[in-house]
Amino acid sequence: MRIGWLTIVAVAAVTALVLGVMSGLILRAHSAALLAQLTRSADQLSETISRSTYVDMLENRRDALHREISTIGAQPGIEKVRLFNATGTIMFSSDPAEIGRSVDQRGEACYACHEADQPLQRLTMRERSRIYRGAGGHRVLGMIRPISNDASCWSAACHAHARQDAVLGVLDVNLSMADADRQVARDQRRLGLLLVLAIATSSLLLWWLGDRLIWRPVAALIAGTRRVAEGDLHTTIPARARHELGDLARAFNDMTRRLGEAQRQLTQADKLASIGRLAAGVAHELNNPLTGVLTYASFLEKRARGDPDVQRDLEIIVRETKRCREIVRGLLDFSRQTPPRRQPADLNEVVRHGVAIVMNQFAIDRVELKLALAADLPPVPADANRIQQVVVNLLVNAADAVGERGGTIQLATRTATVPARGHAAIRQATCPRGCDLLDPAVRIGGWSSIRVIRRVGDRDTIVHLDPVYGRARHRLSDGAGTGLPALYLCPLCRSRLDDPGRRCAECGRPTFAVSAGAAGPIEWCTRRDCHWTRWEAIEKAGPQRFAELQIEDTGRGIPRQHLDRLFEPFFTTKGGRGSGLGLAVTWRIVESHEGTIDVDSEPGRGTRFTVRLPYAVGPSAPVPPAAMPAPVPAGARGAP
Amino acid sequence: MSSGWDVLVVDDEPVVCDAIRLVLEHEGLRVAVARDGETAVRHPALEDCRVVFCDLMLPGQPGLEVLAHIRRRRPQLPIVAITGYPTAENTDRSRAAGATTFLAKPFDTTELLELTRRVLSGTAAGEEEQP
Repeated sequence: MRIGWLTIVAVAAVTALVLGVMSGLILRAHSAALLAQLTRSADQLSETISRSTYVDMLENRRDALHREISTIGAQPGIEKVRLFNATGTIMFSSDPAEIGRSVDQRGEACYACHEADQPLQRLTMRERSRIYRGAGGHRVLGMIRPISNDASCWSAACHAHARQDAVLGVLDVNLSMADADRQVARDQRRLGLLLVLAIATSSLLLWWLGDRLIWRPVAALIAGTRRVAEGDLHTTIPARARHELGDLARAFNDMTRRLGEAQRQLTQADKLASIGRLAAGVAHELNNPLTGVLTYASFLEKRARGDPDVQRDLEIIVRETKRCREIVRGLLDFSRQTPPRRQPADLNEVVRHGVAIVMNQFAIDRVELKLALAADLPPVPADANRIQQVVVNLLVNAADAVGERGGTIQLATRTATVPARGHAAIRQATCPRGCDLLDPAVRIGGWSSIRVIRRVGDRDTIVHLDPVYGRARHRLSDGAGTGLPALYLCPLCRSRLDDPGRRCAECGRPTFAVSAGAAGPIEWCTRRDCHWTRWEAIEKAGPQRFAELQIEDTGRGIPRQHLDRLFEPFFTTKGGRGSGLGLAVTWRIVESHEGTIDVDSEPGRGTRFTVRLPYAVGPSAPVPPAAMPAPVPAGARGAP
Repeated sequence: MSSGWDVLVVDDEPVVCDAIRLVLEHEGLRVAVARDGETAVRHPALEDCRVVFCDLMLPGQPGLEVLAHIRRRRPQLPIVAITGYPTAENTDRSRAAGATTFLAKPFDTTELLELTRRVLSGTAAGEEEQP
């Protein structure tokens, strides 16, 4: 909160300074005005007194003069009224004690006139006034008025004044400033209070605004940054605000998410690389002993022609060693991902070979195998050895699931026709400039999602599109602007993906598209809640035909939480008995055939694996239905 | 002067050397064995043997260097590179270093004999061997 307090103190200081100076100026002007008013009143009063006492003075009616001056002097607000003669003796006063007393003409009240020995006669109102402390401690405004000589004075009956005297005396009116000072003091207090209130209010407002708009979001950012620094890349911070800190929070969330994705990708790549190295290492190590076994066994087999029993046993050793060789090569293939060597193959024949390998063990384990092979299955382009490995892997898996108490495994082959919509996976997605939009870090139903930017106004949202055509399990990082017109951009080069010239067939909004290479463009509606989509090439190609292999067991089934990870390398539920590579290799083989593998399972009831191999393959072939992803599948049930 | 060897096998794995020797000696060929590259390039069999089997993964001197050395010494000699896993990358590199053909481990007697017959009759040069 240090910045907060600094801000508050700074604003309070500025407020205090500005309002303080302003209040000071106002107070000064106010008291000046009051003083001027009081001065005018005093002058008017002295004028009034001088005129009303004129006749009394002329006629030398001293008692009347006394009365008048006493009466006036007793008025509220009037401190005292007195009359000096030319020599400075108080002749009349509202304070009888003073009468007869002389004042020094060089004293404070007289100074203005008597400064230059020769008294001045014409003085301004200001020069005639003075302020001093009265007996009660309050301020008093004194105003003197010289009483000038005049023809009627020297010609009056009393003959008190000579003709040459210019000034005969001085009238001194003293007004109390207590009221005015009280008013000023009250104003001062009020302004002070106002000042304190203003500072308090502005500080409070600032604190409230700062807390809401700055400190809390900043504190959330700091906490989020710390969590990220500690390695929690799932951190998100609230980003509802529409101002810059909201933008910062969104940028932070986006950055964290991308960091997380990058980390997952790195971890994944690292894991795969380790698996690759390990598999390659193990395979290489196995190659040498296998060479020994295979060479010696085949050598002996050749020499044992005369002994059919021994020769048959050696044949088995040679055959099984060759199978080991294929498994080792499969492992190496898995780690290196070499493309399969596909030739038209009879799936039923491949199945029979695979079954022959496991049959002995099935008999021992009391596993009953029921085959239902379609008689009219056309040859499918496949690497027979690898597909045989798939068959063997799935059968061994099924037998393991059935366990020691025995059970039934059904193996069926058939030709299946599957519609593209809701099944076909988008395996390639590029922007018009060729940027790869597939995002392996965010998978939907197992496949890499398609990452695009949705722009509503000036707000950008990352959208992960469902990579299965016709399905709409898109993922958006926020729910803004459902019905608003939106632009779609490439997240890498920001080129436009939407085309205002093309309209959605359902709602009429513009559409946006990504390119699936040879399989043409795939279009979606730009309206968020409209699920219209079109993949022309795939729709034209119609439903695809697959050679389908189904292996169903009555085993213990697979818990739902394991389904997602089933095809992950080194994921095993068999403890020490499994390598965790069987299904991963299987997935790789099927995937490399552009085929799919789905799994359905019910714990306690059994499991069914469905492998589909496309009849039409190659770069120009339509994309096959959704399959399990490698190596970290999510949603092992495939397309819903 | 003849060294008396027909075949030189360069492999650090005794069982591989022994297996090749067993099969080829049964066919009447005289087989010499070197366990590493340094031994191989100094081996007297290199003077006049008719074929060399050389593993690509050797301790010390890398198989490709040994192969290139032998090729420089005997430009016409058939050299069979033994590899655990013939990828496009290592077949290209060993071919560039002078390998005539390849033998992928593990192999059986028939594969070994057929390959040997082909290289000895001079029909294996330039031909890719991937069982």
